[in-house]
Amino acid sequence: MTVAPEKNELVVPEGHVKLVIDGIEVVAPKGELLIRTAERMGITIPRFCDHPLLDPAGACRQCLVEVEMGGRPMPKPQASCTITVADGMVVKTQVTSPVADKAQQGVMELLLINHPLDCPICDKGGECPLQNQALAHGRTDSRFVDRKRTFAKPIPISTQVLLDRERCVLCQRCTRFSAQIAGDPFIELLERGAQQQIGIAEEKPFQSYFSGNTIQICPVGALTSAAYRFRSRPFDLVSTPGVCEHCSSGCAERTDWRRGKVMRKLAANDPEVNEEWICDKGRFAFRYTGAADRVLRPMVRDKATGELKQASWTEALQVAAEALTKARGSAGVLTGGRLTLEDAYAYSKFARVALGTNDIDFRARPHSREEQEFLASTVVGTTPETGVTFTGIEAAPTVLCVAFEPEEEAPIVFLRLRKAARKGRTKVFHIGQWTSPAVEKTFGTLLATPPGGEAAAVDALSSHAPDVTEGLGKPGSVILVGERAAQVPGLFSALLRLSEQTGARIAWIPRRAGERGAVEVGALPTLLPGGRLVADAAARAEVEQAWGLEPGSLPDVPGRDTNGIIEAAANGELRALVVGGVDPYDLPDPQLALKALRTADFVLSLELRHSAVTEFADVVLPIAPSVEKAGTFLNWEGRRREFGTTLDGTGALPDCRVLDTLAVEMDADLFTQTPTAAAGDLARLGTTSTARAAAPTVESRQQSLPQSDGQALLATWRQLLDNGSLQEEEPHLAGTARRVVARLSEHTAEVLGVDKAETVRVSTDRGSVTVPFEYADLPDGVVWLPGNSGDVRVRRELGALHGSPVNVHPGGTE
Amino acid sequence: MGFLDPVKGFGVTFGMMFKKVATEKYPEVKKVTAPRYHGRHQLNRHPDGLEKCVGCELCAWACPADAIFVEGGNNTDEERYSPGERYGADYQINYLRCIGCGLCIEACPTRSLTMTNEYELANDNRQVLIFTKEDLLAPLLPGMEAPPHPMRLGETEQDYYVNGPELAKRAQEEAK
Amino acid sequence: MGIEEKLLPNGVMLAGLEKLVNWARKNSVWPATFGLACCAIEMMTVGGARYDYARFGMERFSASPRQADLMIVAGRVTNKMAPVLRQIYDQMPEPKWVIAMGVCASSGGMFNNYAVVQGVDHIVPVDIYLPGCPPRPEMLLDAILKLHQRISEEPLGARRAAKLAEQGFQPAELIPSSERYAKKKG
Repeated sequence: MTVAPEKNELVVPEGHVKLVIDGIEVVAPKGELLIRTAERMGITIPRFCDHPLLDPAGACRQCLVEVEMGGRPMPKPQASCTITVADGMVVKTQVTSPVADKAQQGVMELLLINHPLDCPICDKGGECPLQNQALAHGRTDSRFVDRKRTFAKPIPISTQVLLDRERCVLCQRCTRFSAQIAGDPFIELLERGAQQQIGIAEEKPFQSYFSGNTIQICPVGALTSAAYRFRSRPFDLVSTPGVCEHCSSGCAERTDWRRGKVMRKLAANDPEVNEEWICDKGRFAFRYTGAADRVLRPMVRDKATGELKQASWTEALQVAAEALTKARGSAGVLTGGRLTLEDAYAYSKFARVALGTNDIDFRARPHSREEQEFLASTVVGTTPETGVTFTGIEAAPTVLCVAFEPEEEAPIVFLRLRKAARKGRTKVFHIGQWTSPAVEKTFGTLLATPPGGEAAAVDALSSHAPDVTEGLGKPGSVILVGERAAQVPGLFSALLRLSEQTGARIAWIPRRAGERGAVEVGALPTLLPGGRLVADAAARAEVEQAWGLEPGSLPDVPGRDTNGIIEAAANGELRALVVGGVDPYDLPDPQLALKALRTADFVLSLELRHSAVTEFADVVLPIAPSVEKAGTFLNWEGRRREFGTTLDGTGALPDCRVLDTLAVEMDADLFTQTPTAAAGDLARLGTTSTARAAAPTVESRQQSLPQSDGQALLATWRQLLDNGSLQEEEPHLAGTARRVVARLSEHTAEVLGVDKAETVRVSTDRGSVTVPFEYADLPDGVVWLPGNSGDVRVRRELGALHGSPVNVHPGGTE
Repeated sequence: MGFLDPVKGFGVTFGMMFKKVATEKYPEVKKVTAPRYHGRHQLNRHPDGLEKCVGCELCAWACPADAIFVEGGNNTDEERYSPGERYGADYQINYLRCIGCGLCIEACPTRSLTMTNEYELANDNRQVLIFTKEDLLAPLLPGMEAPPHPMRLGETEQDYYVNGPELAKRAQEEAK
Repeated sequence: MGIEEKLLPNGVMLAGLEKLVNWARKNSVWPATFGLACCAIEMMTVGGARYDYARFGMERFSASPRQADLMIVAGRVTNKMAPVLRQIYDQMPEPKWVIAMGVCASSGGMFNNYAVVQGVDHIVPVDIYLPGCPPRPEMLLDAILKLHQRISEEPLGARRAAKLAEQGFQPAELIPSSERYAKKKG
């Protein structure tokens, strides 16, 4: 019996085309590149220059295939990475076409002619696409017998990136990444013809916060990292997925380590968050865990000598528990911004259960009551489903950045902004002080205000810049606000009004990785975990029940914030302080903070490394850095970024475990023995069904420019690469930081009389810094300083905030 | 059963006294192994004393027992241990793991790692049995100079590899 | 360690006796059979005529631990075999010594897996580690002779050991047996 073969016609949906690849019919969306269609089918066409996130270039010619259109074969093999699919196309790859195969082998032979055979000493050896594809698609012999082209090598094109031009196959991935994705076109193709090579302009190093990505996407070993140079081999590395601990973006990372030491970090692919990119800080700043001043054993201050000396866990915990039990009810907790969700939860619970206080605050930076209200009313509880996301930013018609410097504070947000703006669908506005690189590279419009005047500027938007409010009125528009907003009274209130008026959604993008999670778990004086209000009896009852406490045992008075805790400790109202990873010099008033640490009867420091806090601490308990523990970061979207332990068995304990044991010594149970246990305990609490906090209503005020001579308003924010303690021990990374300069307008310089000098001296009654300056388009009467770069440590030396008046004088010549 | 049977055995014993002794003379006389015997490793040198090892870790990769640990280092003009960019900064072979298979020797791209016939390795200390670079490096022959020092036999590392055998021969003659 | 603990209760220093005892001990080390794998073939060879460890007073492999002083762990020890090995060791009378023969016994060798004990010193105290896979008979002889050297340095009794430790006594460095026992020229 013969049966007619079943007709298996492929249905071509709208916007799709039908083509044949290697004899297989396939349907592909219009505009898709041939190489991707083939890849989806499982046919891998070799390639070097092609990268899904970069524009096609057709530079390496490795992906040649035979193409037939409308029955007519194209005269020569075509590069499948630049040709889009079309209806009726017949494609033969190297699998079925000897022509394509021969063409690919020919290209490979050409690429290898000038490629040195130094795989054994090349950092890419073992994970090199050229190596792999030469093995898979190349010929075993080369007909080239002459001397290969040689260049001087390696050339440091920045302190972090080394260029080996002999190995380069001119795929232009690095130049395209820099020009398209990062917007730092400091690396370019030079010369022509056979002399063509990658290079940088003279005296102009490849300075980019994203330079490490070029190393990762280089398909040969032409770009290598100075920090990772000759350190190890891919086959001897163990790769563990991880999450970046540096900023609130929560990038997916791959941590490569061997023999208990992290060797390098690479970007992992997470289309929802960081795509395939990470910033240099996330990539290169990881050696702080091996710093010489790392605290590895508990330490107790000797009463007699006043020196810290090593102690056993039992002894240290006993001393701490005794002192904290005595100080119960008059102890404050400062947690800092580096904590995982689980650790922050342990602090929050520890403060409430073991210390019986609401005096807990995670904000180790200038902050305000208004910010606290904003966090409690607007930020807490948002998730990627309900709030703004990275993809939301990419799709937004208008984005307004207020008091937020995306490139310096959340580089991956910056990349999304640039991606969105580059496509031309998104208009980006910045309310700031000067046209910073981020404003330029997001094709943004600057709405300049004096520092501190941002709130008034937001209020005046509808009258001064109706196009902005109109743009924000389009559905999907987004307002991004950074940590600096806490230093501008009325800004959060003004933004909430603007959001209500236009319908644009607000996203709070803090600078540090742990801040968003700390809000969620109630490491704030007015919040309990899950957005519950301390002042709300029903919310307290919920928490008491979940924690198995006696009804009414949770403290019902909202506590002090960081400033309040510091002040109270300084004047003796608080007797004990529990301090996590807080640098007193980050606080709005470092001198008062140091006084508080000195005055407090008892200071417990949970620290990774010796710091200004451990100098005053009575007990120091060592805790684990993020690679030595598991946990979860909550990124600014509210997305859970879970990660496992990378380096196991180092003996370092996470904060939650240390606090749990300490609480047991104090006769309280936290149930946070492990991050998993802590996460489970937190999950049982859930989010609130009780009342939400009211939104802040603080009047904005016009910032008045200083009238007296020699005065200016200080604008300041921190740069990505600066004096941060997590970036220490990284000389190569530090070399790519931006130059430390003050910025002011030419007119201001003239008025202040500094235009003839080479440096400016910025001073307050606390101290002064002298620093070279550059002209920028700042409003008159405003001077900008980096927050904590080089010798310019605004808070430490000047004790000044964003918007404070400072004295500016010529600094003389250096 | 014959008459002499009970003492026949003594005859065999007596006869053996005049035969050559089969027992090895070790330890009084050291046993010379076959030339290709897989004994202790050695890290060789170029004729001017620079190390041949480039720290490529291919030996570590080839090792089935994971007995080798290598970490590369960066040569500078001031401090040069091998011709070229890279040298083996840290080199360890754990003889408590090494099975003497010789795969590392086959993997070595510069003929830096070879095996000697040395076999008396037993020790009572685990630490001592992890041989470091100092233990493994070949002794300095006449004409060699302990690194770090600049390249003496050419401008680039190419000269060392292309003219390697000739250089070695010349260096030997000079030493004589 | 052995009977000497009871013989010299008052800390009588008899350095000469110590030498005599150690000489007697090192020249009558009887090994227990503990061949586990390929190394055992080499170990058995050492018992034969060609290598003939009877030259060093070892005479024969003792199939009974009660008559053995030295355990030559020859081969990989599986986790299942570990308790047996320990029991045999416990049954041996003091003084007793252990040679970990071959890399598997020393560290697990290439068998870095769940089934194999990663070094027999997880179970019993090892006196001499002998690398090799398997070590050739000369290497085992070398290990045995190095053990002899260690035995001859052993202090007699705990008091003597304490005294030596106080004086900062360091055991001599182990040198290859072919050098140590080389025929003196001239």
